[in-house]
Amino acid sequence: MRVRKSLSAVAVALVAALAATGCGGSGSGDSKKTVTMWIYPVIFDEAKHRAHWDETIKAFQAANSDIEVKTEIFPWANRDQALATAIAGNKGPDAVYLIPDQLPKYARNIEPIDTYLDDTAKSDYHENVVTSVTIDGKMMGAPILTSAATPICNKKVFAAVGQTTYPTSWNDLLTMAPTFKAKGYDMTAYAGDAKQTLNQTFYPLLWQAGGDVFSPDGTSVAFNSDAGKKALTFAKQLVDAGYVDKTLLTTAPPIEQTRIAQNKVACVWHVPLTEIEKFWGKENIQVVPHFTETRQIGYGTVGSLSMLKSARDKAAAGKWIAFATNAENTKKYDVASSFFSPRKSTGALYVGDPVLGEQEKHVATSTVGPLHEKARDVQGVLSPEIQAALLGKKSVEQALEDAAKAAAPLLG
Amino acid sequence: MVALPATRRRRVRRPSAREAGTALLFVLPFLLLFAIFRFGPATAGVVLGFTDYTIGGETGWVGLENFHRLVDDPTFWSALRVTVVFTVLSVPLSMLASLGMALLTRRAFRGAKLFRSVFFLPVVTSLVLAGVIFIWVFSDGGPWSRAMGALGLPAQSWLADSVLVIPALVLVSVWSRFGYGMLILLARLQDVPAELEEAALTDGASAWQRFRYVTLPQLRPALFFVAVIETTVAVQVFDMIYVMTGGGPVRASYSLVYLLYDQGFKYFDLGYASAIGVALFVMTIVVALIQRLTLGREE
Repeated sequence: MRVRKSLSAVAVALVAALAATGCGGSGSGDSKKTVTMWIYPVIFDEAKHRAHWDETIKAFQAANSDIEVKTEIFPWANRDQALATAIAGNKGPDAVYLIPDQLPKYARNIEPIDTYLDDTAKSDYHENVVTSVTIDGKMMGAPILTSAATPICNKKVFAAVGQTTYPTSWNDLLTMAPTFKAKGYDMTAYAGDAKQTLNQTFYPLLWQAGGDVFSPDGTSVAFNSDAGKKALTFAKQLVDAGYVDKTLLTTAPPIEQTRIAQNKVACVWHVPLTEIEKFWGKENIQVVPHFTETRQIGYGTVGSLSMLKSARDKAAAGKWIAFATNAENTKKYDVASSFFSPRKSTGALYVGDPVLGEQEKHVATSTVGPLHEKARDVQGVLSPEIQAALLGKKSVEQALEDAAKAAAPLLG
Repeated sequence: MVALPATRRRRVRRPSAREAGTALLFVLPFLLLFAIFRFGPATAGVVLGFTDYTIGGETGWVGLENFHRLVDDPTFWSALRVTVVFTVLSVPLSMLASLGMALLTRRAFRGAKLFRSVFFLPVVTSLVLAGVIFIWVFSDGGPWSRAMGALGLPAQSWLADSVLVIPALVLVSVWSRFGYGMLILLARLQDVPAELEEAALTDGASAWQRFRYVTLPQLRPALFFVAVIETTVAVQVFDMIYVMTGGGPVRASYSLVYLLYDQGFKYFDLGYASAIGVALFVMTIVVALIQRLTLGREE
């Protein structure tokens, strides 16, 4: 009897606890709307980053006192894992920072932002920036920054070798490479580890050769074209001739363990400027335009604030996103984070800066990569095949054909 | 040889309803937590394996389609092969290392506690951190390739070689896991009555005979436990591979959990990822049952 009584008491307590927690959320009677935003360390210094958003929120609330904004800064690592599980559990934020690589995968969860931005704001964006965030004719996010991952060369290495000009094409790289090799330097680096996005490694070569990842209608892959073969053959030439460090073909060690950090590599195109600056020194960085083969092009990202469909108050979230990404706030954010502006009205942000000012000029020749729902899946089958070709386990043609065969079922 | 008293089978009294109720009350919190946080999600995972669940999309019942896809997916078979080879190499090696270290440190000698602590240290070291260091150890020109060169073997990066990458990962795995097994076996070894060994010694048994016929049979339950735990850990190998090789070169170290991770969190194909999880679960259960039938059987 005593046991039964105790059990009843436990059950009553549980029900009471559940009821209490259940009532707590909705019945608080607070009319204040809340917008939650997830952001990542776009500004490396967390204190500065936090200060930027605190200041922006304060300015926003001065005109929108009924809307409370909460920002959470998450680490870059495993951000998709955290966001995807949060969305699946209906615990996602109202607004989130996304790049074009993520947009197609989250498209079904994103509320198009077009209707929340006024026409002036929309027409202020560079055309290629709008294209980079548009899926099925709708803007999936309000752009807040852009980048241009141009090749960067190490002046110290060039001085040590006695080379006075910098490469601007594949041909330049191949012509200069033997001199660098003879003096113990690598002409460049190729990051072949499967964790690396091809957007920053192989795809720039593919685009420069005049090729693309998908066919124009997106129903098949196109990387196995002549341009694709040319691009992979070029990468293989660099590997076979010993112009790159083979360790990076299969592993992704921390940069401080690499020859790049040891000032033994002449030029790279897959390492962010902010990361390399610590090892080379800003004064030793020479920005060069995206390499040219058939055309001059390279990778660059567009960071945007997107609203999730699960946003509790879409009007409030839309108002916040529009404010946070307006020209004035965009400019502040971009200067603080060393990125470039997606807006025309802000003008060039780094005129006179020998590094950022030079990179900023190449935003127009940068592309964000394919906005295809299966873009990542295709990278998953292509990446190991590229490794196989570079390690000499398959011919260039065979590797690309095998990758195309593996990609076909993914595209249905 | 000292004869041990025969174990007498004791009659077990059935508990009364009241006793059972009290016992149930004590285990209820655990049962609830287990049901909510373990059994529930696991069951949901199995159910998801029969759907085409993706984030934000409409979820439909697809029956065995995901499992048919698994059978036709060459990447699944390659990942399964990698997982099996890794498990077959790492579990026995890890157990041997655990046993060896447990035997070495069982005696009370000066510094024994220090050695035990040092040997256990890798278990509590982050595998991600260790992985970063081991990338350097196994790199071209790193200590391992130099040591191989000094022994007259090819001085190459093991992580860049499709054949040597698994042995390299196995070595790291054994390094990180043997301390755990050592601790379990050591605890069991402390319980082995000293009289047994003394009696065997009196009967003229050699060191090997004492180990083989006295110590080892006493260790059997602990060895079974370590084998099951190590196998479960080995078939779920992921973080070390993610950090050290990214599944390469050319998918030579792409394990089942890596495939599951990619499908679930990179491509958001959660139905298919769940089907891979089910396959992994079935595989683990089958291996554990085999171990139960061999190592875990009652004498």
